[in-house]
Amino acid sequence: MVIQSERASATSYSSRYLDRTKMNNALSNALTFGASYAEIRLMAETTSSVRLKDGQLEHAIPGQEIGATLRILADGAWGVHSTTDISNIPNEIEATVRLAKAVAARRPSGSNPIQLAEIPIHQDEIHWKSKKDVRNTDLDTKLSMLDNIHQSANDDERIISVSCGWSDEHLHTELLTTEGMDRTWSFQRSMVNGMVTARDGGDPVSYRMRHGGEGGLELIEACDLQSLGGDARIAALRLLKAERSPSGKLPLIADRDLTGVYIHEALGHPCEADLVAAGDSCLDGKLGQKIGNEIVTVVDDPTMRGGYGAYPIDDEGLDTREKTLIKNGVLTDYLNHRETAHHFGLEPNAGARAQDGLHHPLVRMSNTMIMGGSFNDIDELMEDIEYGVYACGSRGGQVDTGRGSFQFAAQEAYLIENGEITTPLRDVSVSGLTLQILNDVDGLTKDAKLASPGFCGKGQTVPVGDGGPIMRIREALVG
Amino acid sequence: MIPEDAIERLLDGCKVISKECELQSISEWEIVGTQGYGRSLDIEAGRISLASGGGEGGFGVRILNNGRYGYAHLVDVSGAKHAVSQALSIAKASPSIAGFSLPSAEKTNPVDGMLDETILKLSPDDLLTQGDDIISEVTSLDKRAVVIGGGIGIGAEAGVMLSSQGIEASGISTSHGLGVQVSIDVDDQMTSSWESSSSRKLIEGIPDCVATAVEWAQKTRDPIEIQSDAQDTPVIMTSQGISSLFSNIIRPSILGERMVRGESYWSGKLNEVVLDNHLTMMDDRRMEGGFGSGSRDGEGVPTSCHTIIENGTLRKMLWSSRDAAKNVSEGRIDAAESTGSASRGSHMSPPTTGCGDVHLLSSKPPMSLDEMIETMGTGYVVHSVMGAHTANPTSGDFSVTSSTVLRIEEGEILGPIKQAGVSGNLFKALSKEVSLGHSSTRNGVSSTGTNHLSNVLFAQGMRINPA
Repeated sequence: MVIQSERASATSYSSRYLDRTKMNNALSNALTFGASYAEIRLMAETTSSVRLKDGQLEHAIPGQEIGATLRILADGAWGVHSTTDISNIPNEIEATVRLAKAVAARRPSGSNPIQLAEIPIHQDEIHWKSKKDVRNTDLDTKLSMLDNIHQSANDDERIISVSCGWSDEHLHTELLTTEGMDRTWSFQRSMVNGMVTARDGGDPVSYRMRHGGEGGLELIEACDLQSLGGDARIAALRLLKAERSPSGKLPLIADRDLTGVYIHEALGHPCEADLVAAGDSCLDGKLGQKIGNEIVTVVDDPTMRGGYGAYPIDDEGLDTREKTLIKNGVLTDYLNHRETAHHFGLEPNAGARAQDGLHHPLVRMSNTMIMGGSFNDIDELMEDIEYGVYACGSRGGQVDTGRGSFQFAAQEAYLIENGEITTPLRDVSVSGLTLQILNDVDGLTKDAKLASPGFCGKGQTVPVGDGGPIMRIREALVG
Repeated sequence: MIPEDAIERLLDGCKVISKECELQSISEWEIVGTQGYGRSLDIEAGRISLASGGGEGGFGVRILNNGRYGYAHLVDVSGAKHAVSQALSIAKASPSIAGFSLPSAEKTNPVDGMLDETILKLSPDDLLTQGDDIISEVTSLDKRAVVIGGGIGIGAEAGVMLSSQGIEASGISTSHGLGVQVSIDVDDQMTSSWESSSSRKLIEGIPDCVATAVEWAQKTRDPIEIQSDAQDTPVIMTSQGISSLFSNIIRPSILGERMVRGESYWSGKLNEVVLDNHLTMMDDRRMEGGFGSGSRDGEGVPTSCHTIIENGTLRKMLWSSRDAAKNVSEGRIDAAESTGSASRGSHMSPPTTGCGDVHLLSSKPPMSLDEMIETMGTGYVVHSVMGAHTANPTSGDFSVTSSTVLRIEEGEILGPIKQAGVSGNLFKALSKEVSLGHSSTRNGVSSTGTNHLSNVLFAQGMRINPA
């Protein structure tokens, strides 16, 4: 199905898959057929996933995947062709230009044609080499590490099952454009995760854990896997005795994991400029306005090596950079790709990400964090709270960007009574309205860090990092 | 849209990999090849923003040597030797499963309605015209309404399975789906609603979901203030509202392995009453045009329609052949065999046990939404929820948020509320005082199955927490 022009060796960084001469000729043809811009972006992925169930190998799946997307702008509209049949791309040029023109022909009167903001043009290769190339990690090493997690997670008769997973990927991308861009880049991600289920006569409970980020085997080696498993076991056992959460508007303290999910859902998504341009963001028209408490500063930073959302170059070929979305409560930037940067007259900031070689880039987050505040620790944050909730660990979240309403769920929680942590709680979720809650953040500890790795869905799924300090919200809807 | 020789090309690829398996003296092997072709368009800000097309696919190879199992996937069959070697080395590290063999070839009958030739003939212009018609229809229904997101897609997927046990199966299926996010953003108030529709047949014209999206964007405007703390209250969840919770909580709970490991809320409850006694739940893998249906499952086993819960009593759990053999050999259950319930997300995934087309039915006469509202008296109608994926599939507890909530008092709609938390335990809520609506709606479509649910009135087990 695929004829590769130059096959990469198993662990090389510099091999290329796209035949430059053929593909550049094809791109030139796109201009001849009437395109104003065309690009071919290829991604080759070397992946591995391993799953251990109750200490036994459930599956190990090595994979080699490759895909490419031809994206053509003609008459101010996009035509796209995605394929695993790389050699056939030149044959799809004319039809894809026609497709773009057909979309353009149906553009409503008064609707502006799509234009792209200018970016620097490079011909280069950038490889974020891992200290320990994860492609060289053998199955026995992976199994041994997962068994470490399993042993410590399983060490109680009330634990009824433990599943542990490993995933790693080496991502190699090539981008050629009619503007002369010719960039190749690569990096790796590695992660371990697990789920502990406990039962003590009554209903079962479960707790999950994750550790990982951008990088190779060194990331997993740096993790105390026994503690990862042991902590999950202890949390699951604690949940067996946890009570149902109170419901209502309460003061809330969120740990680093939940702070990260909160800022990802409540602020990060509404800051995505493609949603703003589509009329699907509560932050439309609010650039430069104060939308949160002045203690709130938020950055999105794909250059943060080790974060699960890190990448060296965005999927339109732009060098990545830190973006400050909120500075002291003021909305200072949207996340952009070239199209939205032109639309809003902003500087492109390398927010274009595609799930893989078979998808076109959308505006996405990377590593998103609230910066630290002035409180020393959680005790200081809690001391004024008579009755509230301390929620920790993320089960994920979701946002309605247009209405500006969001929800996120905690893995476990505790009541706070008279400034002290008391009763364990289970299945706590928090919801609210973005523009209200950003003003209700009234306390942050000093130490902002990325938390557990995560995944973000927006039609396409991409890995992300998020985090921050421990955060206090004056009042949130807890249920 | 799909090449005439798509099946032959996939079969040729499978044969290349199978030869490699034989060269490496592998006793049992199973190869799947899939190739999907599609066209789609995106709608943003009331216009078509992008049109795309293309194809993707690849191969997966599962091998079994002395009960030891390995898997690898690849796109380019020139890498067959490497992939098979990797699968073999993984098999050597895997535990042996006593009694596990790859399924042998058995006859099966095709399932109707999986292929609609008219979809294959649709041109990009046909799709663009449907997109324009939907955008216009929304504006004609309400001049304030705009399609701010969504799109239309058509697809055709060719699939082949070849195994050492004599299975050689192939087929082509089609799909047509669309979704719209309709917004009304006037007078400093923005309301919106997402609705979708999908079919294996051509969706002609404008499906009902477009009007429903406009209707809910209208219905949720001008919210009323509710002076209420969180309270346990009757709730009507529309089929859309219940579907995402159902997918995350109920579907995993009927999988055999979760049942016998104690990971399901219903573990140890076979032949016990687990749902309201008029409710029956079917897992149908042979539904005409079903997205979770087909003549064979992901391991090539002929499919069936299973009654999982009959009049409230749990009767059955679902198994793939591997999970069944593994859990019998490890002593978790005395006997189990494949129920033809192996699913594959894609060629990159080995088969795992999964649900197909799941139906929740009632022996009681169905109620219209109006009848439900009248019966409920006072409570809420919840149309869609955010955060269903954060529900706890083990315990069944959930705490989600909705911005499409109507307050009902004395059988009348009082008005929408801006936002509310909705929480409860779905297993317990479905166990008594449940009423179902009229016709079921297909929702929650995914590569591994679909729900067919109607509106549900929960008289107990739900808590609403108005914002």
